[in-house]
Amino acid sequence: MFRRHLSTIIILAVMAVAGVISSIDFCKMHQPEELFPSPYLTKVGMLSDYFDGIKGTNGDTEVYLFDSGVDGGTALVGGGTHANEAAAFLAPVVMLENIKVTHGRVFIIPRLNNSGFTCTDPMEGFPDHYEIKTDNGIRKFRLGSRVTNPLHQWPDPLVFSQYPSNQQLSGFETRNLNRAYPGRPDGSLTEKVAYAIVQLINKENVNIAFDLHESSPEVPIVNVIVYNEKYEDIAMGAILGLEMADLQFSPETSPKNFHGLSHREWGDYTKTIPFLMETSNPSMGRLRGETNVELVLRGYSENYKQAKESGALRIAYREESGEPIEHRVGRHIMGFIELINSYNMYYPEMSIIIENLPDYNLIMEKGVGKFLNN
Amino acid sequence: MLYYVYTVILAYVTFVIVIEFLKEKKWRDQIAMAMVLTVFILRLLQIK
Repeated sequence: MFRRHLSTIIILAVMAVAGVISSIDFCKMHQPEELFPSPYLTKVGMLSDYFDGIKGTNGDTEVYLFDSGVDGGTALVGGGTHANEAAAFLAPVVMLENIKVTHGRVFIIPRLNNSGFTCTDPMEGFPDHYEIKTDNGIRKFRLGSRVTNPLHQWPDPLVFSQYPSNQQLSGFETRNLNRAYPGRPDGSLTEKVAYAIVQLINKENVNIAFDLHESSPEVPIVNVIVYNEKYEDIAMGAILGLEMADLQFSPETSPKNFHGLSHREWGDYTKTIPFLMETSNPSMGRLRGETNVELVLRGYSENYKQAKESGALRIAYREESGEPIEHRVGRHIMGFIELINSYNMYYPEMSIIIENLPDYNLIMEKGVGKFLNN
Repeated sequence: MLYYVYTVILAYVTFVIVIEFLKEKKWRDQIAMAMVLTVFILRLLQIK
């Protein structure tokens, strides 16, 4: 009897050991990395404080508040809408760990779609984390998925009907936070998260809001500031300021008929002034080749170099230096600083004054790790 | 609702494979079934 079931027992035991080992590794992806806010932090809340429908779910995330105590406007900086866009998460983290607000208030949410940080995109071969060297050691950061984890929102419909526009999109987009705005309280997890963010903007009277992103070098909307048409003057003022700092950003108006995006719906459903910024990330593009941590951080790709030199495509890629993480994080932070400066010119009575953020040249010179605490 | 339908179907298929796995005498076939079962069980536990 025992001999007959010997192979069954051995195989079951091996299966159990392999299952437990891989499960431990897999479950680590659900543990968010620790962040170290600057000493000027006023309060850490949760997104569920604004809509308790996401309380206890993987969509809930930390909301960091820096309140100067001096009357002024309120800004919201959001990163991690798409958790596979490394610089769009690291830039808010650098802000969070350095910022000092002397007028008004700044909210920072580094992981807008927290669920996206708990998995990677299938079939893309992305690493699930990367490391940055700091003065005091190594910081490890999660590299996640473009969309909500399918464990947390399943199944996808064949065709996604965006609420409330009824715009038809691919079923996959049902888990894309940047197609879910303004969201709804009884919708999918992604729609609930979008709804919570819109509630935060409304309840806290956010005057200016930022949604940070990255995209493939070959995508037309790259190295841009996307603005709602009502606030073109502020965007143009910032782009001029950025030109003075030798940083080129293209202005892009938010398409009126493309729904669910932050720059469209935050502008239409709230009183905030929304901006979305994109940097060029070769690790996300179709020509990238081997996808590894070096590509994510160094942003150098022979394939993109050749493609750019061929002249066949319009590619946002610097042939010699690539698109390193310092360059991408620096661009986001400079874009934020200049947009705030431009906003202050138009709304002096609701100004937001920020200190202590490293500028582009400083980040390029010293590296991102120099501005991370631990 | 679809989520629960999917889970019930998966639990049923897992149960059937477990029965077949225990009946199977060839170790090579047992390994093949075990590889399928690992994925199914992890999915039921919401780990995969």
